[in-house]
Amino acid sequence: MTHQQPVPTTQTEPQRPGGLRGLWEAFKELVYGMAAHDMTRAAIRTRASMEHLFILITMGDLLGVPILPPYYSLRILPYVVPQIATWKRRMLREKDLSDALF
Amino acid sequence: MSLRKAIEEHPERRYIMFGGKGGLGKTTFSAATAFWLAQHGHKVLVFSVDPQASLSDIFQQDLFGKGPVKIVENLWAQEIDADQRVREYQDEIRRKILEMYGFDKVPDEIENYIQAASAEPAMEESAIFDAVVDIVVQGGYDYYIYDLVPLGHALYYLSMAKVYDEWIQKITKLREEMREYEEVVRVLRRSSMLEEDKILAELQYIRQRISTSSSILTDRRKTAFFFVLVPEEMVIIDTRKAAELFARFDVPIAGYVVNRVIPRELLGENIPEYLRNRIRMQEKYLAEIRSTFGNQVLAYVPELERDVTGLPMIERMAKIMFEDGAAQGGA
Repeated sequence: MTHQQPVPTTQTEPQRPGGLRGLWEAFKELVYGMAAHDMTRAAIRTRASMEHLFILITMGDLLGVPILPPYYSLRILPYVVPQIATWKRRMLREKDLSDALF
Repeated sequence: MSLRKAIEEHPERRYIMFGGKGGLGKTTFSAATAFWLAQHGHKVLVFSVDPQASLSDIFQQDLFGKGPVKIVENLWAQEIDADQRVREYQDEIRRKILEMYGFDKVPDEIENYIQAASAEPAMEESAIFDAVVDIVVQGGYDYYIYDLVPLGHALYYLSMAKVYDEWIQKITKLREEMREYEEVVRVLRRSSMLEEDKILAELQYIRQRISTSSSILTDRRKTAFFFVLVPEEMVIIDTRKAAELFARFDVPIAGYVVNRVIPRELLGENIPEYLRNRIRMQEKYLAEIRSTFGNQVLAYVPELERDVTGLPMIERMAKIMFEDGAAQGGA
């Protein structure tokens, strides 16, 4: 559960408006940071490990573990091209102490 | 019950399949049935799912990989070229990758994977399976006659549908769970709509195709599966086993057709001892077939003096199977 996968969202960069609205925005972010940030991180992390599991199931052949019939895994292949490099690294990597910390 | 009744009394049957051990006459019966139906004004497609298909041989025309080829009025025949289909499919995947990421060439690692995946033996079977779904989904014919592969393959083909379906269902579920986590993040961050999950859509597409195919194979109303056998011990044993397995996969068995029955009338003629012995042997096994499969046997087709190739012989076979009283019911 270490490195985080970027989760595709359509969130746009927040602009920084001044005055009262700026204060309100800052307050919102503060509340978010206190209350929801950890939950978000946990959700993103779980989502990332599931993503890896998913790719293992569909693209297992790449590691020599055939699971999904290859005819259909090829259909999925184009969508996971960017993930394949990080995924292989993660699957074949040795675990160390930092795994427990982050 | 006769073969003719089995078809005429069930006009809702649209998918007709002949299965059995290799070399017993499945292709012959498929071609003859297709021919007979076409003669009766139905639009028929007979197609082969066997990599070593022999529809070309029986119609004496090269059909391999050419799509549906018109044989006579109302009758089309098709042999699926699995290799060609796999190649086209690979190209489609490559094109998609190049388009999606704007690459000039497919990255080596990905290319290797595409090559390796296509070398798997299951690839060819899956490609044929997929081609069949295409044919059936497209529609346009009154009857579809499957010239099935020998038993082992046919079973594999049928079980594959079930296994695939379960697999994809599980994977889709995982994907949906992932989606829920994304949704949690979205709500917590109060961001707007999520992007559409293209992979989920792809999985649902795959699943829908597989279930279309397996639902046809196991549809009691629309599908008729006929077993072909000959009066020989090994064949009877194998057929019995296969019938049990097919029943387990919910394949509706509509009846049995016995092929290569040597005419008994020959016994009254001056024939060599060799032939006499074969007729006696067959009599023993015909009795066994009658006691095992009883009135599920729809036709007894005699051994002909020559092989069935070319339209005149197919027509003659169709007549024997569907019109001749001799072939109906009793040997």
